[in-house]
Amino acid sequence: MQAPRTEELSPLDISENDVIEAMKHITGYIDITPGDFKEIYQAAYTLAIKRLVNTLKAVHIMSSPLFVLEQDMTLVQAVALLSAKKISGAPVAEGEGKLVGVVSEKDFLKEMGFGATPSFMQIANHCLSHKGCMIGKLHNKTIGDIMTRPPITGTPEMSIGTISTLFSQRRINRLPIVEADGRPVGIVTRTDLAHSLTVLAERSKP
Amino acid sequence: MNYLHKMKGGGQSPPKVGWAEVFWSWIGSFSGLAAVALIHYNILDEMGLMLIIGSFGASAVLIYGAIRSPLAQPRNLLGGHILSAIVGVTAFQWLGGQPWLAAAVAVSISIAMMHLTMTLHPPGGATALIAVIGGESVHQLGYLYVVIPTALGAIVMLIVALIINNIPKSRKYPEFWF
Repeated sequence: MQAPRTEELSPLDISENDVIEAMKHITGYIDITPGDFKEIYQAAYTLAIKRLVNTLKAVHIMSSPLFVLEQDMTLVQAVALLSAKKISGAPVAEGEGKLVGVVSEKDFLKEMGFGATPSFMQIANHCLSHKGCMIGKLHNKTIGDIMTRPPITGTPEMSIGTISTLFSQRRINRLPIVEADGRPVGIVTRTDLAHSLTVLAERSKP
Repeated sequence: MNYLHKMKGGGQSPPKVGWAEVFWSWIGSFSGLAAVALIHYNILDEMGLMLIIGSFGASAVLIYGAIRSPLAQPRNLLGGHILSAIVGVTAFQWLGGQPWLAAAVAVSISIAMMHLTMTLHPPGGATALIAVIGGESVHQLGYLYVVIPTALGAIVMLIVALIINNIPKSRKYPEFWF
């Protein structure tokens, strides 16, 4: 999955006929050619999108309060919590609340010996042809053993443009947002990012 | 873009305006020119002065017929005419011996000045040209040409534009003053 990048947000491709139709709604002679107007519109649209992408920040789109796992929690406990919350991963904190890593489905699958991105069919094939399904490997381990560390984190002031670049370059799906003092304040997931694009589209309506 | 290819155009004209727009353009330009011409023929003519110059016909197209245009705003109307009149009279007084040169300099320098001062008003080019080719009656005015007919005429046209253009709901003038 590719995260959308700023430069891919091309302006709505209006035609000169659209411009002419719009001009007909305005009384009075408008002394600009539809072609020139289109050029101005496209340049202005690009500027507006850039401005919106830079003004919408992590603090506006993040989910909070943040659900955090403890690093000495057993995997059995963690799986129960994550499945109850219907989420596929979470940041991990040590005793004093400082973030030390992030755990996701990928880490569980890696621990089970499947590699980071197996398909469901690969897992099904493995489980059907082997006894025990390798899930047993998850007993007797703690979150601290399998989490990805150090965590990749963002700041509340990070723009959604920067966040989406981070998502696609680091191949991550969730970004814990921490204050300067390391205190976690929220999390931006791919879902939050997708939702922010809807907000952008709403805002850019005239 | 290829040099010759540019000459093909390829763009489109803006749409035709409605009947109301034609009507108000007509009312405005009739009133504006009537005001200027009445003052010209009934008052100033007898004093050996003038108020009507050809470039006001062109200004009427803009300030009564294309009132949204940046070229038609008060800054452009007044600034364009006055600057061009100064340039035109100067060009005639310095280069009048070579009328072809005076004419070309008057118009080209006017356009440059109007661009630089953000007062571009196409009829200004005509105002500058008239200062050179307008004959004895214009030449003897000297720099008075800048004030009467140019500035005064433009002000009369502007007052009529303010009165007429703001009557219909669909129109508003000016877009900006300066």
